[in-house]
Amino acid sequence: MRFPSDTVNEPITYTLIKEYDVLINILNADITHGREGNLLIEMIGQKANVNEAVIYLESKQVEISPVVKTILFNESACLHCGACSSVCFPGALEIDLSSRKLEFSPDKCVACELCIKACPLQLFELNFGVN
Amino acid sequence: MSVQKSFQEINEKIKRGEAVVLTAEEVAEMGKNHSPAQVAEKVDVVTTATFGPMCSSGMLINTGHANPPIRMEKATLNGVPVFSGIAAVDLYIGATETHPENPAYGGAHIIEDLIAGKDVELVAHAKGTDCYPLKNIHTTINRENLNEMVMFNPRNAYQNYPVAVNTSKRIKYTYMGSLLPKLGNANYSTSGELSPLLNDPEMRTIGIGTRIFLGGTTGYVSWHGTQFKTEVELNEHGVPVSNAATLAVIGDASRMDPDFIQAAYYEKYGVSMFVGIGIPIPVLDEEMAARVMIRNEQITTRILDYGDPEHPELGRTDYQSLMSGEIELNQKRIKTASLSSLYKAREIAQILKAQIEDGSFLLSEPVEAFPKGKSLHSLDVRI
Repeated sequence: MRFPSDTVNEPITYTLIKEYDVLINILNADITHGREGNLLIEMIGQKANVNEAVIYLESKQVEISPVVKTILFNESACLHCGACSSVCFPGALEIDLSSRKLEFSPDKCVACELCIKACPLQLFELNFGVN
Repeated sequence: MSVQKSFQEINEKIKRGEAVVLTAEEVAEMGKNHSPAQVAEKVDVVTTATFGPMCSSGMLINTGHANPPIRMEKATLNGVPVFSGIAAVDLYIGATETHPENPAYGGAHIIEDLIAGKDVELVAHAKGTDCYPLKNIHTTINRENLNEMVMFNPRNAYQNYPVAVNTSKRIKYTYMGSLLPKLGNANYSTSGELSPLLNDPEMRTIGIGTRIFLGGTTGYVSWHGTQFKTEVELNEHGVPVSNAATLAVIGDASRMDPDFIQAAYYEKYGVSMFVGIGIPIPVLDEEMAARVMIRNEQITTRILDYGDPEHPELGRTDYQSLMSGEIELNQKRIKTASLSSLYKAREIAQILKAQIEDGSFLLSEPVEAFPKGKSLHSLDVRI
């Protein structure tokens, strides 16, 4: 969300939670009083509530860009140890039982981020792409 | 009469290009329908390998003398402290030493960079003496301008290692990786039937002076490793059920390959280093053949709870189960994963096999055997 300078001082996150009953998880915030602000949030709630929350945000001239969270994997540097596969429950990271190579299936990834800390070579990073 | 072969006889066969060499996985497979006598008859050398994080590793370098010279008393490489308490310009880079401001960067990264031929920044200080007047130095070093780069790892290639799980309610970040709460996963770290010391559990052929594959080049076993113990429980196949023997290894790091030495960082634990080791085992007789035929399902290991500071044993399993991706513990299916790379270990076993087949790698008989009857002391806190 991008706030114009005149709404930066309004408690928008509070209003979203209190009035629209949505769960807010703040992932990144860059807000300076009196200037433009940027806020990266995850918003979870009933569809009607989320839609009304969006209408409210638009009424406040807040620009909304939906983003998708994905995991980037530097596959060419992988040693195929498997430390990431033990924390990956959707099964997006699995060691092939015959070749013993790590296989990454991005379509199964839910971006839970556990692999980021599990990889001893730091080959995973979180990517926020615009949907 | 049963087969008896000496190191010399096997080396003569290698030189003639007639030696039969298999990897430990290949001979384990062969063992399913061959007797030890048949394997001893047909196979001369078995290659074993491991590629895992081995914290007790490091590199000794000699930087050469500046003019005027300095007797380095405090030194850092890319900001990572290195041991300078030996003579004037000998430095030991401990793999697990970390940068004071960046816990994810340490000695292993410096070692990897030097092996890769990159420049590393050296800063050193001294009090200055009549014979070594220089007090401060700031320069760069690399593989080309160092006199020596000797990898010396005091404890590598553990003979077996326990599986780590976590019964507590919080995630534990350990040297055995991320352990999820309430038995969420199980991490292990060996190459099982391919692992060097599991194929020669009594160390009949591995001892001081054994020539090995180390980090992409030829190295040697220099001593028994630290925390070496032989007074351990064995299973019915004669292999230790937990961590037992270890190796101290040495090799010329200036000839190593960054593909086989890789720096690692374990979240909230620290820096470690993946080391690639391959060891050839001569099939001297039927008894050695029976040893190298060991299969994953015959190698037992303990499951320890890292959720409890005492690490109590919760059960036992074997490497066939661990490598299947799941084990059962307390009536629960638990996802397993390895911290060492079997993929890379296989690559090393194949490289070593090819080197022996083409005659470029000969076996060396140990100069001296490892100690017997060795157990470990714990540290008494007396003050």
